[in-house]
Amino acid sequence: MTSLKRSTADPYATNISSKVFVRSTKSGKVQKIVRELYLRQDIPCSSRLCSICLTNAPADANGFIAPFILSEKPAGTGNFPTGHYLVPDTNALLNGLDLFEQKTGFYDVIILQTVLEELRNRSLPLYNRVIGLTKSEDKHFYVFFNDFRLETYVVREHGETINDRNDRAVRRAVSWYGEHLQHSLKTSNKAKQCPAIVMLSDDKDNLRKAKAEKLSACSLSEYVSGLEDANRLLDMINASRQEQGSRTTIGQQLYPDYFSLSRMMTGIRAGTLHQGIFNVSPYNYLEGTVHVPAFDKSLLILGRENSNRAISGDVVVVEVLPKAQWKAPSTKIIEEDTLNKNENAETEEGATEAVVSEQERRALQEEVKKTHGNNIEGRPQPTARVVGVTKRNWRQYVGHIDSSSTSVATQGRRQQTVFLIPMDKRIPKIRLRTRQAEALFGKRVLVTIDSWDQESRYPIGHFVRSLGDLETKGAETEALLLEHDVQYRPFPKGVLDCLPQEGHDWSVPASLDDLGWKGRRDLRDLLVCSIDPVGCQDIDDALHARPLPNGNFEIGVHIADVSHFVKPNNAMDAEASIRGTTVYLVDKRIDMLPMLLGTDLCSLKPYVERYAFSVLWEISKDAEIINSAFTKSVIRSREAFSYEQAQLRIDDRAQKDDLTQGMRTLLMLSKKLKQKRMEAGALNLASPEVRVQTESETSDPVDVKTKELLDTNSLVEEFMLLANISVAGKNYEAFPQTALLRRHAAPPKSNFEELANQLKVKRGFSLRTESSKAVAESLDRCTDPKEPFFNTLVRIMATRCMMSAEYFCSGTQSYPEFRHYGLASEIYTHFTSPIRRYADLVAHRQLAAAIEYEQLDISLYSKARLEEVCKNINVRHRNAQMAGRASIEYYVGQALKGRVVDEEGFVMKVFSNGFVVFVPRFGIEGLIRLRDLATPEPESIFDAEEYVLRVSGSIKVKVELFQKVVVRISDVKEEFTGKRKIKLDLVKS
Amino acid sequence: MPLDTSTYHLSHALLRLDGRRWNELRRLHAQISTQASADGSSYLEMGNTKVICTVSGPGEVRGGGGGGRKEGLERENAIVNAEVSIAGFSGVERRKKGIGGGGGGGKGDRRTMEKIQNVIAAAFTDIVFTHLYPHSTIVITVHILSSDGSILAASLNAATLALIDAGVPMKDYVVACTSGLTPPAADIGEGDASDPLLDLRGGGGGELRFWGGGGGGGGERVCVCVMESRVRVERVEGMLAVGVDGCKQVREILDGVVRAQGRRVVGSVVRQGGR
Repeated sequence: MTSLKRSTADPYATNISSKVFVRSTKSGKVQKIVRELYLRQDIPCSSRLCSICLTNAPADANGFIAPFILSEKPAGTGNFPTGHYLVPDTNALLNGLDLFEQKTGFYDVIILQTVLEELRNRSLPLYNRVIGLTKSEDKHFYVFFNDFRLETYVVREHGETINDRNDRAVRRAVSWYGEHLQHSLKTSNKAKQCPAIVMLSDDKDNLRKAKAEKLSACSLSEYVSGLEDANRLLDMINASRQEQGSRTTIGQQLYPDYFSLSRMMTGIRAGTLHQGIFNVSPYNYLEGTVHVPAFDKSLLILGRENSNRAISGDVVVVEVLPKAQWKAPSTKIIEEDTLNKNENAETEEGATEAVVSEQERRALQEEVKKTHGNNIEGRPQPTARVVGVTKRNWRQYVGHIDSSSTSVATQGRRQQTVFLIPMDKRIPKIRLRTRQAEALFGKRVLVTIDSWDQESRYPIGHFVRSLGDLETKGAETEALLLEHDVQYRPFPKGVLDCLPQEGHDWSVPASLDDLGWKGRRDLRDLLVCSIDPVGCQDIDDALHARPLPNGNFEIGVHIADVSHFVKPNNAMDAEASIRGTTVYLVDKRIDMLPMLLGTDLCSLKPYVERYAFSVLWEISKDAEIINSAFTKSVIRSREAFSYEQAQLRIDDRAQKDDLTQGMRTLLMLSKKLKQKRMEAGALNLASPEVRVQTESETSDPVDVKTKELLDTNSLVEEFMLLANISVAGKNYEAFPQTALLRRHAAPPKSNFEELANQLKVKRGFSLRTESSKAVAESLDRCTDPKEPFFNTLVRIMATRCMMSAEYFCSGTQSYPEFRHYGLASEIYTHFTSPIRRYADLVAHRQLAAAIEYEQLDISLYSKARLEEVCKNINVRHRNAQMAGRASIEYYVGQALKGRVVDEEGFVMKVFSNGFVVFVPRFGIEGLIRLRDLATPEPESIFDAEEYVLRVSGSIKVKVELFQKVVVRISDVKEEFTGKRKIKLDLVKS
Repeated sequence: MPLDTSTYHLSHALLRLDGRRWNELRRLHAQISTQASADGSSYLEMGNTKVICTVSGPGEVRGGGGGGRKEGLERENAIVNAEVSIAGFSGVERRKKGIGGGGGGGKGDRRTMEKIQNVIAAAFTDIVFTHLYPHSTIVITVHILSSDGSILAASLNAATLALIDAGVPMKDYVVACTSGLTPPAADIGEGDASDPLLDLRGGGGGELRFWGGGGGGGGERVCVCVMESRVRVERVEGMLAVGVDGCKQVREILDGVVRAQGRRVVGSVVRQGGR
C-alpha cells in the first residue's frame, strides 16, 4: 500500500505557509478557516533607489508594471539627515492619521499589509482614508505586502498574541527594508546615501523592542517634535490615547458600561434589545429617539445617562426601560448653552462631578411634573436606554472654541483643554487639548472626535484645521459644506482628463456620417426652446410642441445628453457618482460635473447645436398620450427664456410666431395634465422658499424675496414629470430588476396624528389621511377666509409629516411599493436633470440601452452595485438640500444684519416655555422663549390639549397654535453656535 | 478579516488573498496508483482541495446504471459512468450526511454532485476510445476529501490520472482548471478593472463569477466548459485564454506525474525481468 503522505521533496514546500483563523458567522456559527499562503520574492520594495526589485517586478494581466513609488531622495529631518522612509504601525495611524494627510510633511510612507489589515479591523473610515492616501500621487504612500514576501513573513509563535505577532511583523519589515536597500545600493555601486527606515509607533513595548533590535523607531509625538510647525501638528494627534495612563486612576465612571457584543447580539436576536439609529431632537439636546424595526413609533431616550455616550447618527442598541420610567416627549426647549454655560473644561480632571448637573436634573423634574396629564400629547411613551453602540458614525465636526470654557490667561504655548461647541446643536461639546487655544478663539475649527470614555462627561477630540474667522463668508461657506459632507474640492486631474480634447471648441460634427451621429435623429429643424430661472447656465432641458395634421400635437422634451460625455466607470463618472448632485448655495454652485460639460458642452444653450436625449409624445387635445418615443438626437435651441420672459411672451397677444404658439400649446396642455394629476390625488405641498437678492458685484445680500410661481414654472414642471414617468416605465420594462427609480412611500398614519389633532382642536377641520387623494382634498378644505396664508401654513406643516422620497433599484421592491405618493404616480424616476443629478445620468444610460442605442455597462446590471449608488445619492441629495437651506439661512441672516423689521408671522408649534413662529415673508421660523418676553421669566400655564400657552406675571399674553402674531425681527450672533441668527421678538399677539 | 482582492489592485500587482498573482495556479500535487485494489487510482491536491479517484473497468456491464444491463450489452461502445461523493468533513462545516460539501444546503449539494458526475462522464465518453470496449462500462469514482474550490477541475484531473493508471486508452489528457474574474473594483476610477483570474479558491475569496474549463490537452481542444454564473460575453475570451493557459500548466504537471510513474513501473519490470 502506497502512502498518501505528501513527499517531503515538494519543491514548493518552503514558501507555502497557511493562515489559520477562526471566525464566527452572522448566524453565530464558529468556523475555522484554513487558507494557503504563497510566499513570494517578487514583491517589490518600490523604492526608486532599488535596482534589484525593478528587474523582477511583476506585471498585471495587461503587462503593465506599476511604477515605483518611494522617492529617490526622501526628505530628511533633524534626526534623519540622510532622508527617511516612514513605516507607521497601526497605533500610529489610529492616533495621528490627520498628520499623515498633511501637505507639509509625511512623505514617502510605507504602509505594511499587516498594518492595513489591522487598521481595517479597527476603523473602516480611517482605513478608507489611508487607501485614499495611497492613491494620491504626490504623497508617495506605498502598500508593501509584507505578509506575502518570503523574507518578511512572520509565523505566529505558540502563545504569542496576535498583536505581538503583528508588531514583530512590522519590525521584521522595517529591518528587511533597511538591509534590502543597503544591499541594493551596494550592488548597484551608486554613491547614494541609504535613507533611514523609521518605524513610528505609539506602543511603548514595540518601541523598546525595536530599539533593542537596533532599528530607528520613535513615537508620533517624538517624531513630530522634530518637524517645523510642531505645535500645530502636535494638536492633531489623537487625544484619547495620549493621556490614558493618567486618567484612568482618578476617573470615576460617569456612564454605565456597554454590554458585551455577544450579549447585545443575543438580545437583539431574542427581541429583548433593539438596534437603530440614535437621533437627537433639535429642540432638546437631552432627548433622543431611536427608531427600531420592532415598533411603529420611535423609542424615547431621555437624559445623558440613558443616551450613554451615543452621538446623533450612531447605530445603537437599546433596552426598553420599565414602564414606571416611561415619559412623554418633552414640551420644553432645552438647550445645552443655557444649562451648562459656565463649565470649565479643565475642571473635569478633578472628576468629581456627576453626569447630570444639578440644573439639568431640575429641568428634567419639571418635565415629569408637566407630563402627568392624560391627553395624547402627554401620554407617557416607552423610553429606553442605550446599552451599546454597534457603529459610530462620527465624522469631522465644525464648531468654535467656547471662550468661557477656559482661563484665557495662559502663558505661551502651554497645552490646555478647551471646549469646542459644534455648529450642529445635536452634537455635544467636544473636549479638546490644544497648544494654540489663543489663536483659535473666534475661528471656525474642524475637529474629530477620538473617543468618549466612561469617565468623561464629554467626548474627547483633536484639532484638524482652522477654516478662518467666524462669520466670514469663506469660513462659513466651507463650514456648511463640511457639515453637510459636500465634496467641494476642485476636480482632480484624472477627472479633467476625461473631458473631450477639443474643450470649449467641441461641436456637433458637421458630417452626418460621423460616428457621433450614429443612431441619432436630426431634430435641428424643430422649434425648441428652454425655460429656466434667470441666469441659469446649466440648461438641462428644452421643449417643443407642434401641431400634427390629425389634430393632435407632437410634444418633445429634450434633455442634455450627458451620458454621451460621461462614460461609465471612468474617473469623471466615479467623481460624479460620489458627488451625486450639484449643490446650490446662495452665491455658489458646487458642480457635480466639471464646468466645461455642465455649463457648456452639455448645456442646451440657444443658437448652437447640441446632443440631446429626446422624449417625443403624440398628445391629443385633451392631453391624452397617444404614443411615446425615445431617441438620441441633435437639436438647436431657438431661445433660452427665463420663466418671466416666457410668461410675458405667451401673454403678449401680438406675438404670433410658431415658437410662441408652440409655447401656448405647451401651456394649454400642461394645465390639463396638471388637472389630471390633481384628480388622481397628487399633493400640492408647500415649502417655504425664498430667494436672496444679492448685489451683482459683491454678491452681498441685499434683500430677501419669496419665490414667485408663474404658469410657466408649472408648464416646465408638468412636462418634466411626464418625461420622468414615461422613462421610468420604459426602463422598468427593459430592466425589471435593475431600473433606477424613485419612490415616495405613503407616510404612516401616525405621522399625521398630531397635525390632524391640532387642526381638529383649533379649527375643527378633519384631516383624512387614508390616501394621498384624501389628504389633498382635506388640505384643500383647510382654509381660513380671513387669512389666505393659513392654507399654505397647513401645507408646510403637512409636508413635514411626509416621508422623504428616495431612489431605489427596482429589484429591491415589489411593484406596488414603487408608487410615488406625492405625485400620485405608479412609477417615477429622475431623467430630466443629468447635468446636476447622478440618478438622471444612470437613467439615461439605462434608457439608451433600453432603446438599443448602446450596450448597458456591466455595473448597471448589478443590483448590489445599483443599491450602493442609490444609497449614496439618497444621502447626497438630502445633504445638498440641507446645505442649500443652511446657506439661505446664513444669507437671510446677513441680509437682515443691522436691520430691525416688524413682520407678520404664524405660530407653528407651542412648547411649555416658548413657541415657534413662522414668518412667511422671509421663509424663516424662529423660536421665542418665555424668558425672551420678559425678565424674570414670566409665569405661564401650558394647556397641551388646547395648544395654548397663557403667560401671566409681568407680561400677559395668550399664545395659541396657528395664531397670527407680529414679531420684530432682528439679528443676533448666537453665542452658542457662533452663527448669526435671526432673533424674533413678540410685538403683538 | 483580511483585505479583499479589490484592495490588491492598489499595487497594480493584483495579489490575491492567498498571495498568488492572477495567473498562478495553486500548488498542484498528484500521485498515481495509490490504491492497489483498484484498476486505476490517483490522489490529487489542488491547494487545499483534495480528491481521491478510483477507476474500475473497463468491465462487464453491471446491472442498473447506464440504462440497464440488456441495453448495455447491445452497445457498440463502452459506457463511462462517474460517481462522486463529497465527504461530510470536506467543507468548513461538518455535514451530517456524507453528501454535504462546500456551500449551500443539502439540495444544492446533491445538484453539485450530479452536475460533476454528468460532466465527468460526458467528458471522458468523448475522450476515451470507447469503441475498443463494446458491451462494457468504465466507472470513475471520485471522493472529495477536502473542498476548497475548483472541485470539478480537481475531479477531472484526478480522473485522467486514474484512467491512465487503469490503462484505458484515451485520445489525450483531460486537464482542467477554473478561471474567473475579479469583482469589479468597488472603487472605480481604475478604468474597467475586472481582470481574469486563474484557479479559484473556495468561498470567502471575494472572487466573483467563476466557471470551470477543461482542455483536451496538447491540441488545445476545449472539451468541457462549464459556466457557473453569468458572465458578460466580452469577458469570456479573456477568461478562456487564461483557463487554457492554466490547463497547459496542469497538463505539464500531470504529465510529469505520469512519466515518473512510468519510469517506476518500467524500472520494476526491468528489475523483475533481470531476476
